[in-house]
Order: sequence, then C-alpha cells, then structure tokens
Amino acid sequence: MASNKKVLLKVIILGDSSVGKTSLMNQYVNRKFSNQYKATIGADFLTKEVTIDDRTVTMQIWDTAGQERFQSLGVAFYRGADCCVLVFDVTAPNTFKSLDSWRDEFLIQAAPREPDNFPFVLLGNKVDLEPRAISAKRAQQWCQSKNDIPYFETSAKEGLNVEQAFLAIAKNALAQQNQTVDLYNEFPDQIKLTNTQRPSNGSDSCAC
Amino acid sequence: MSEFEIEPGATKDSVLVTSESFDNFEQMSSSLEEIKYGNVKPNDDPNSVLTDDNQVESTSNTAETQSANANVKDEYVENSIDWTNKKKHVFVLSTAGKPIYSRHGNEDKLAWLFGVMLGLFKYSHDSIKSIHAGDTTYLFLSKKPLILVAIWKTKESVNQVTLQLNYVFNQIVSMLTLRRLIKTYDERPNYDLRRLLTGVDRLIDHVLDFSENEAAFTLGAIQCLPLALSDRDAISKAIKDACGKIKNLVFAILLGNNRLITLVQMKKYHLHPADLHLVFNLVQATESLKYSESWTPLCLPRFDNSGFLYAHVSYLSEDCQACLMLLTVERDVFFPLSNAKQKIVEKLRISGCMEHINASLLAMEESALASGFSELRHYLYKCKSTAQFYQPALSPPYTKDKIKLMELYKRAYQKMHCSTRQLKLSFERSFDEVVFSWDTKGFELYAIFEPLIDTQKVIHCVSKLLDWIKKREDKLFHLNAYTF
Ligand SMILES: Nc1nc2c(ncn2[C@@H]2O[C@H](COP(=O)(O)OP(=O)(O)OP(=O)(O)O)[C@@H](O)[C@H]2O)c(=O)[nH]1
Ligand SMILES: [Mg+2]
Repeated sequence: MASNKKVLLKVIILGDSSVGKTSLMNQYVNRKFSNQYKATIGADFLTKEVTIDDRTVTMQIWDTAGQERFQSLGVAFYRGADCCVLVFDVTAPNTFKSLDSWRDEFLIQAAPREPDNFPFVLLGNKVDLEPRAISAKRAQQWCQSKNDIPYFETSAKEGLNVEQAFLAIAKNALAQQNQTVDLYNEFPDQIKLTNTQRPSNGSDSCAC
Repeated sequence: MSEFEIEPGATKDSVLVTSESFDNFEQMSSSLEEIKYGNVKPNDDPNSVLTDDNQVESTSNTAETQSANANVKDEYVENSIDWTNKKKHVFVLSTAGKPIYSRHGNEDKLAWLFGVMLGLFKYSHDSIKSIHAGDTTYLFLSKKPLILVAIWKTKESVNQVTLQLNYVFNQIVSMLTLRRLIKTYDERPNYDLRRLLTGVDRLIDHVLDFSENEAAFTLGAIQCLPLALSDRDAISKAIKDACGKIKNLVFAILLGNNRLITLVQMKKYHLHPADLHLVFNLVQATESLKYSESWTPLCLPRFDNSGFLYAHVSYLSEDCQACLMLLTVERDVFFPLSNAKQKIVEKLRISGCMEHINASLLAMEESALASGFSELRHYLYKCKSTAQFYQPALSPPYTKDKIKLMELYKRAYQKMHCSTRQLKLSFERSFDEVVFSWDTKGFELYAIFEPLIDTQKVIHCVSKLLDWIKKREDKLFHLNAYTF
C-alpha cells in the first residue's frame, strides 16, 4: 500500500517576482533571511523532511521564478504536484491581482484530476512592512471564492507564520494524496497503474 | 629563444573551439535541432538567423557629436554629478528608440537621451559606427533588433568596446534566444523589452565589469584551475560515467573561482570560449544558485542562438564550492541529472578529487616573482590552439591597481591585433614598466617587466618562462578532452 511507503510530496511555489517565494523557502528550510534580492532564474529545487502525525514525509519544494520570461519553463514542473502555494506581497496590489492568472495557469498546465478540489494554499507575505495595500479580509474573500483555500499571513523576514504555513501545506498535500489513493481504491483495476505513477512522481518517473 | 616541438599547453584534442576574440559573433550551426533530431536534418535551416557582421570602421565626425552635446542639458543629468562623472556609459535601445538598459542611472529618466541616440543613428542612415570628439568616443553597434551604444573617455580601443557590446548583446540573447527577441519585435515593434529582462540588468552590469577586468575576455580564452593531470582526468571520467547514458546531454561544465575545472561534451560538439564566458558570468552573478539545485533555460549564442539548452546547476557540496552545470536539450530531465550529480559527488569524494579541487581552490596562486622570475611582474600566456591561458597571481605594484595592469594588456593586445599592421614582436619601455608582447603561430605572450631591465635579460627570462610553463602544462591546462 502506498501509505507504507515513504511519502513524497511535490510542492510548487508560484507568485509574481519579488513577492518573497525564495525568502520563504530559505526561512523555512535554512532559517535564514537576506534583505538582498537575488532573483531566481528558472526554478530552484529543495527538499525538506517533516513529520506529520508520526509519518515522515519528504517535501520536494519547487521554488519557481516569478519573472515573466521564465513562465514557459515553470509549466514543465507543474505536472504531478500535490500542492500549489500561491504567494503575494501584502504591500503590492499588483501581486495580488496576478493570483488569478497564476492559479488558472497552474490548473491548465498541471491538469489535476479534480481542479476544484486541488489543494492550494495562499500566503500573504511581507506583513512586517507598511503600508499594507491588501487587507487580510480582502485576501480571505478571494480564498473563499476559490473553494476555501487556506490563507496565512507571513513574514519571511521575521519568520512569522512560516513554519505553520508550510506545515499546513504539507498536511493539505498529504490529504490530497490519501484522498487520491482512496479514490483509486474504488477502481481496483487501476491501482497498479497509479501506484507506480503517483507516489514516485518526480523522482525517477520524471525521466519521461 | 627556446624552441618547442609543440608550444606549452597545446594538445591534439582541444576542449574549446578556438578563434580570435575579435572575430564575428556568429552562430556556429543550428546545433540544437541537430541534436534533437539525431543529425538527420540538414544544416542549413532557412529560419536560422545570423547576427550582424560587426566589422567596425572608425569614422570621425565632430558635427554630429555637437548635436548630442547640445542636448545633454537635462535636469536629471545636471543633478547627478555621479552620472556625468562615469568614465564609460553603455546603453541598449530598441530600433524604435525604447530604452532597454543603461549602465549608470535610471534608463527611464534618461529616455530623452535614448531618443537623441536613435536620432543620431538614424540621421547618419544607420551607418555611423564611431565618432571621436575630444577625449570622448561614441560607438553605435546595430545588432538587429537592438542598438547598442557606448560612450567612453578611457583609453580602450573601438575594437575592445565593440567586443564588450557584443557580450552585452549575447547576454541578452542568452536569456531570450535570438529567435524570440526577433519575433517579439516583429509582432510588436514598440515592445518594452524590460518586461522580459527583469533581473537581467544585473547580469549585464556584471558582464560589463567582467569584460573590463578579466584578461580572459581580452584574450578570448579560458583559464583553468591548476590540477594534477590525473585528477582532472578522474573528474572528467566521473562525469562521463555518471552522465554517459543520459540522452541529449550536450555539455558538462565544472568550474570554481572563475576557473575551468573540466568540460565534458557530446561528441562532435564544441563550446566556444565566448559562450563559456557567459556561463562564468551567470554563475558569478547569480548568488541564488548557491543555496539549492536549480534548473534554468540558457541559450548559448555561439553554439545555437535560436533555442534554449536547459541547465541543471548546483554546487558540488557545502564544503566544495565548485559549480557543476549540466546542459541538455531536453526540458524535463531534472531528476536524471540530479541523480547523476549525486553520483559524481560520491565518486569525487571517494577518489579524493574533491579534496584536491578544494585545495586548489583555496591555494593562493604564485606570483611570477615567487616562481623565481625576479624582474617579471606579471604575464599572460595564451595557447592559441586550445583557447586557454595562464596568468600568475598579481604582484606589486598591480595588487592595488589591477585596472592599470588591464590597461597595459588591452593596449598591448590591440597593438598586436590591429587590422592594419599586425606586429609579431614588440618591446615597449616606459617610465613605469617594460611591456613585452610576442605573437607566434602557437601562442601569445604578454609580459610586464621592471622598467630598467635590459633587453638581453628579457629574452633570457621569456625563454626560461616558456620552459617553466611547458613543465607545468599538464597542471595548468586542460589537455585531455572527454566526450559523452
Ligand atoms: N520586509 C520583508 N522583505 C521581504 C520579505 N520576504 C522577502 N523580502 C524581500 O523581498 C525581496 C524579494 O524576495 P525573493 O524571496 O527573492 O522574491 P521571489 O518571490 O523569490 O522573486 P523571484 O525569484 O524573482 O520570483 C528580497 O529583497 C527580500 O529580502 C518579508 O517577509 N519582509
Ligand atoms: Mg525567487
């Protein structure tokens, strides 16, 4: 059964350039923060082990570049994701406006089985900065309109809520995987196929 | 002078394509298509676009310069002494006159100046190449669909600055591909390219500094990290073994401290030093690569300017800051390459090569003086057939004034490569130093001596130096080429 295997979760982080995707990752994985902007070129890959309800889970995190010229590259990584993290900068309204297009693009390219139930998590980053342009309420409204996406307000700089947010990301991704397994159990003749494809996704099956 | 059967550093299979550094920045072939479709396609792709010829003619035209000066009366410029004080300006604009890049100052605030530049360029029916006015030189380089402009007061020659502008253009192409660049402007001539180039200005800044300060650019060559031949071979073999089965891997490049450690390439394909310079530039200027494994599209304009290669980029480990770049034509082989990298690291650890790389990365290179050449301050030795060069560590008085040293070299290089009269040997004495330049069939040597040294001694020292390099050639140069 899939649940006995080591669980691997593929997480994609999306959002406009400069909203703090890399900073959030760095805070989460290395507990470091730098004020200097070092644009991501292409996509950066990191792994992190987390324990959720006594299970060790390896998170494969893809930190993608927000810059426009890399957008055609990003899509190569969307496929097989277990969770998609959308990030915006609470002080920059444009980055909030882009969320819809990031989400749509992800759903088109990743083509998950159930687009409506695919786990997204929204992070409103840089809450340490003033003045705010997007209120928590406005962000939450957007989340509600998208089938209740969980929302976290974070500061990569101060490490605020970062751990909590990534834990929620892992949990959501895991729930999605479990659900997928259950779903397939209803169609026993498909198990084999999905078992070999799904959990190992991203490690060796990507040699496609 | 000493005679060699083969000049120091030469080898029968060079890892790099060799060329003069001032030659045209043209595409070599449509290599990508060839690799992807298994060499079945004919070479002459009708869509392949060649870059412009960049032959430069110096023309003097003071009238035009005055019209430019008349316009240099703007608040922004007057308020920023900083901007007017810069010794060299570089601008990139679209054929429609839209600002794309300015080395100093905000290009939006300088929009008026871009208009003037386009005007000047158009007024002369796109034919001006360079204008000398007093101590200032203006250079216009048309690289469709862009125009590159340089304005400088330094002693650099038009050729050298042209070379620099070519690097700027190629840096842009390497981020977008020439095909996309041309297509973008075909569809929307008034496009603001900065949308696609966010973050690239940092790379352009860096490539400009790099090409001003590094002898590698002037010489059109690459310097290797000193390593025992057996180590370099073992490293190349580890890479070859780990990657050999991976489809369509074109180049594997290992570098550290701005030096090449090894380069393994697909059979029949070669890397051009100018492309390798862009790779070095990217690695140096992108700090985020240090913290994770990255996957990025990268166009190598001399290899194929129409399409992207995909690069898996990672540092060997936290305790070994050598950067490995695996370049493939496939866009989704991150994981096979990531696995291959792990295998390479394991092998290098077991064989002890990792330690040796580290030792060499940390070791201070010797100055010429420390190697026993008492009146030799510094030198550049380039082996032409391999496009590799060697230089010792800086020694006084240049430790504090590398710019001065680079100026001497640029001038010497220019003298030897000037298109009207090509010198083979030159000995130049000034108050501050003696500059000795020697261009032979196999190598080029530029050496800076103490000002009072006599000619006889220079000759003696040079021949001793060539012997010294020959003895160490297997350590200082990358001699054995490995292929996938
Ligand atoms: N004050 C503050 N600054 C932040 C925070 N998070 C990121 N930054 C800064 O915002 C800038 C951009 O951060 P990055 O993490 O590089 O942004 P990114 O989303 O990865 O950008 P791309 O790689 O271009 O897509 C950097 O200068 C960071 O220091 C935060 O929570 N608070
Ligand atoms: Mg980033």
